[in-house]
Amino acid sequence: MSQSPIIHAKDIHKTYRLGRVDVPVLRGASLSVNTGEWVSILGASGSGKSTLLHLLGGLDRCDRKPAGSIAFQGTELVRLSAGAMNRYRSRSVGFVFQFYHLLPELTVLENVLAGAMVRHSFGYLSLKKAMVSRAGELLEVFGLSERLKHRPAELSGGERQRVAIARALINEPDILLADEPTGNLDTLTGNAILDELAKVRSSRGLTLIMVTHDIATARRGDRLVELIDGVVGEQSPLVT
Amino acid sequence: MPLLAALAVALCTTMVLVTWSVMGGFLDMLLDSGRNLIGDVAITWPNSGFAYYDELGQMLQDDEMVQAWAPMIETFGLISLPDGRRETVMVKGIQGPSYARVTNYKDTLYWQPLDKPLRTDPHSEDWRLTHHDLWENRYEQGLSLTEPRIDRMGQLVADEPAVVLGIELSGFNIRKAGGWYMPGVPRKFNADGTEEAVDVFMPNSRITLTVLPLDDKGRNIDVTARAFPVANEFRTGLYDLDKNVVLIRLDALQNMLKLHEAQRVIKVDADMPGTELQPESFDQPGEVLTKDPARVTAVIVRAVDGFDAITLKARCREIYAKFEARHQGDVPAQTAIIMSTWEDQNRTMISAVKKETALVLTLFSFISLTAVMLIVVIFWVMVAEKTRDIGVIRALGASKTGIASIWLIYGLCIGLVGSAMGGILSYTIVTNINPIHEWMGNALGITIWDPSVYYFSSIPNQMDAFHAAIVLVGGVLASVVGAALPSLRAANLDPVRALRFE
Ligand SMILES: Nc1ncnc2c1ncn2[C@@H]1O[C@H](COP(=O)(O)OP(=O)(O)OP(=O)(O)O)[C@@H](O)[C@H]1O
Ligand SMILES: [Mg+2]
Repeated sequence: MSQSPIIHAKDIHKTYRLGRVDVPVLRGASLSVNTGEWVSILGASGSGKSTLLHLLGGLDRCDRKPAGSIAFQGTELVRLSAGAMNRYRSRSVGFVFQFYHLLPELTVLENVLAGAMVRHSFGYLSLKKAMVSRAGELLEVFGLSERLKHRPAELSGGERQRVAIARALINEPDILLADEPTGNLDTLTGNAILDELAKVRSSRGLTLIMVTHDIATARRGDRLVELIDGVVGEQSPLVT
Repeated sequence: MPLLAALAVALCTTMVLVTWSVMGGFLDMLLDSGRNLIGDVAITWPNSGFAYYDELGQMLQDDEMVQAWAPMIETFGLISLPDGRRETVMVKGIQGPSYARVTNYKDTLYWQPLDKPLRTDPHSEDWRLTHHDLWENRYEQGLSLTEPRIDRMGQLVADEPAVVLGIELSGFNIRKAGGWYMPGVPRKFNADGTEEAVDVFMPNSRITLTVLPLDDKGRNIDVTARAFPVANEFRTGLYDLDKNVVLIRLDALQNMLKLHEAQRVIKVDADMPGTELQPESFDQPGEVLTKDPARVTAVIVRAVDGFDAITLKARCREIYAKFEARHQGDVPAQTAIIMSTWEDQNRTMISAVKKETALVLTLFSFISLTAVMLIVVIFWVMVAEKTRDIGVIRALGASKTGIASIWLIYGLCIGLVGSAMGGILSYTIVTNINPIHEWMGNALGITIWDPSVYYFSSIPNQMDAFHAAIVLVGGVLASVVGAALPSLRAANLDPVRALRFE
């Protein structure tokens, strides 16, 4: 694996305001992830794992004071405009959530294509053919070729999560951010999905940042970090 | 939910469009009907009338703006119907052919052959569909206001002048739901409390007409009554006319009103020309017979297509001035004679209808604001329901504008669907408004359109494409405006919070 960091977060703070009360969640967390690396973030519930992931994915911004920094391939996310931030989300990262978050009105195929539609907006019309075939290939990798016209409600949890992963990959991102991707699945299905993720990652050279509170799941990564009291604590390489 | 929003749009556009079509159509009918009923301009001098109208007519006819002209007498009278009822009526003396050139008299003659049944008559029950020759005969008699008098031996005695009655006047015609008439069998009540059925078909019966000849001061000279055969009946669709007007052949009415051409015997003193002598001395030599010219109370004029009534009115004034110059003192002065268009004659009513239309439309447009509010509420709820999905789409990289435009486009679609439904619905209602109204009257006992109030016996059933376009585009715009506020809310949702939303 290459040793250059694709994303580098340093000393980031995130405080939520609840009425007049400040709720500090991240208090100077730092994390550096190399290209092609699989990092597992472990932590107790409420420790701020999802918050960190949202910040890395450009879905939210960290506190201005004290100022931290998140650099993606050398570009400072904090300084990006809203439009550039949208582009960052649609091109460079893909999100996978614990509860799949598929759009219930759309079919499996349309859900996967939604990412491409958002990215290209009107340009999508001319790319439609290529996108449909790319979505078809992705769904084939996850064994869902027969389910293209189905609605999410007609799928099992594992199948839904596979659709969600395919959706996150449609725009060929550099980083996949997975927030407890197996948290809602039984161990067997969870492991199968982790196997597939591992396969996709190595075939595409994808960087994978995965949040989990399950130590066994966390061990699937190259490296494991723990989030405690709003800072990234003990770091242990898992590959020996 | 979205269907509900579309339905609200549909109902509001329907409400506004149906009202506009009916009220606007009513106004158009009011304005148009004038042209069909009295032509464009009426030159009138009531009571004693004016002479040399043929000459005036010729002068008018020679003008490039004038399509046709017709002499007419208008007066009041009393009609005795076959069942003994008497009704006060408006009597119009006309020459059938010339009257038909200025107005649409031919089309209004009711008893004439009908080649195919009315659209509203699926079982071909209309009498006029059979006995073609009989109705053709009736039609000719109606057009000439003349009926042959046959004696007991079946011999033609003479052609006699006849009348044509408004279809609603006698009360013997029953209007069927499909809009055609059939002679009914009404009851006649006697003084002793008994009642009997009277079976009459007006064009086969006679009526008695009583009129009051008036002098030029409006004083009554003499009451004249005379029996006439009924040649036909007419239906203009203007309830007032169909209920109150009797048409009669012009010469017959001139005779009754003493407006006919009369010979006057004048003795001219051979020694002193220009001096009239008293009638006692008529047997002596030197007498001269002159004619007192026939008179009418009105001349009606129709413009050549392309000239409007107001232009024609001005032209008629000029022509009348020349006419007056030829008959100085014998005809009413140009400054005194009454020239009026249909709109002049019905100005109060027409302007009232115009104002009322505007008022009702404004009111309904305000009511339609509730539909906009409804869309705001419905979209607000839909945005709330879709909060998490909005978060997901933001996570996929969508911008705020992108989110807002999704909802705006959704609003646009709902507006389009709603307006389309509204357009179809109101078109169906407007074009079928008379059968619907008839059904409401029969089944529910609701009668909104009372012909005696609204003038026309049928409700306007035309839809103006321009009006429809305005209302439907308005419906679409209103939906987009209604969706705007919820769209803004959707756009400004915090994506992280939206994703946590359950
Ligand atoms: N919008 C918010 N306003 C206020 N507090 C918030 C908000 N979002 C998160 N928090 C708080 O921030 C803390 C961290 O939340 P976060 O979801 O990042 O934790 P987590 O580690 O992902 O937990 P879990 O394992 O349960 O998913 C929690 O205490 C939560 O209550
Ligand atoms: Mg979490």
